[in-house]
Amino acid sequence: MSDTINQAARKGFLVDTARCIGCRSCQVACKQWNKLDADKTANKGTFENPRDLTPSLYNRIKFIESDVSGEVTWRFLNERCMHCGDAGCMKVCPSPGALFRTKDGIVGFNKDKCISCKYCVSACPFNIPRYGADDKVSKCNLCLDRVGGGMSPACAKACPTEALKFGKRTEMLDKAKAAKKPIYGENALNGMGVAYALEGPPEQYGLPASPSIPMSIFLWKDVVKPLGILGFWGSIGAMLLHYVTIGPKKIDDNGDGEENGHE
Amino acid sequence: MNKYIERFSTSERVLHWIVTGSFFTLLLTGLGLYSRLFHGYFSLFGGGQVAILMHKIMGVVFFFSSIYMFLNHKKDVSTFDDGDWVWIKKYGGYLTRYGNHFDIGKYNPGQKLFAVFIAAATLALGISGIFIWFPLFFPRWIVQFSLLFHCLMFVGSIMFVIVHVYLATIGNPGTIEAMLYGDVRKIWAKKHHPKWYKEVTHDNP
Repeated sequence: MSDTINQAARKGFLVDTARCIGCRSCQVACKQWNKLDADKTANKGTFENPRDLTPSLYNRIKFIESDVSGEVTWRFLNERCMHCGDAGCMKVCPSPGALFRTKDGIVGFNKDKCISCKYCVSACPFNIPRYGADDKVSKCNLCLDRVGGGMSPACAKACPTEALKFGKRTEMLDKAKAAKKPIYGENALNGMGVAYALEGPPEQYGLPASPSIPMSIFLWKDVVKPLGILGFWGSIGAMLLHYVTIGPKKIDDNGDGEENGHE
Repeated sequence: MNKYIERFSTSERVLHWIVTGSFFTLLLTGLGLYSRLFHGYFSLFGGGQVAILMHKIMGVVFFFSSIYMFLNHKKDVSTFDDGDWVWIKKYGGYLTRYGNHFDIGKYNPGQKLFAVFIAAATLALGISGIFIWFPLFFPRWIVQFSLLFHCLMFVGSIMFVIVHVYLATIGNPGTIEAMLYGDVRKIWAKKHHPKWYKEVTHDNP
């Protein structure tokens, strides 16, 4: 495929949810750096705000209240594009360059090249890409302009507790593993650019236990598409072969010794 | 004596070419969506967004014209008689050079199968197309399945269409005239559709 990734050079996040205090500095810093408009939201009886990613909200803190053996626990999860090593969005995107991979392993997007087909919405294992009034893709681009210039992304820069840590992916994973933290996203989808050290099973955070590209999308792009091209040329080949071997049914042909014309 | 008889009326021919035209426009506008390999086909229409718009418009044209065409011929293409079964058992005589004689009405079983398949594919492509058109208004799994199914039905259709075009042109000389001028030669009709020929000429053989 056109999407190749150099694992050793990958940069990404390690999100240590135990350190997150739900301050949402990451949300604010992201809006500021990426010049994203504020969304109007409504109070629905929770601190979580906004309640979902929007075309102008690239990352947010999910607030998860749960009852664990009689005690209310509050957990925070930074939700955003995971910058998958095997990215479903890039697999299906028909417009070269609309979604692209940087040398740091970031999945960036270019609205000028987006043709508004919204295939990426269907192919994302995490339901991340959003389309706004401009009918173009938007999602976390990992501040690829900052990262390309050797800086850390705005969200990680703003995080006061180092819950959002940005750096060389392999180094951060090694350190987290040395600290005996269970890692989510180390190998799934050819390694997620955003890996998590979670405090509980991924399902508690609303994350799929074993994330993968949706089955229909896999069958579409990796099975039916190549077989279809084969079938197309195979059909043409078969027709040509028929023409030169058995040949056409000529209407005035009585030369084969059999009666077929009833003339 | 007139050498020709009418096979398709003017309105039938025009309808057929509307279906054909919309099908191939759908093919060309859809190729760039099928795979990045065919991205260049978008430039025929001035870019991907225009191609998608044309694909939607032509999809509506194809859907209604194709369904209408099927309904016009529903009776002829959905019943099989004894002559048809003989044709099927001998693969329509297409696997041998030696002449086979089949007692075939207006359409042979291959044509009937093609008509029924294209009608089913039209429905399938149309319905899955709606979900792909408005992906944000439907559950993700429906859209994901529609993308797969739309592709699958397209592949089936294009393969069948290739066979259809071959058999209607160089594979059976004289056939294309039926769709161009509407008239076919009588010897053509007697060879390919003898039962139909008898039916339409019974009072004036």
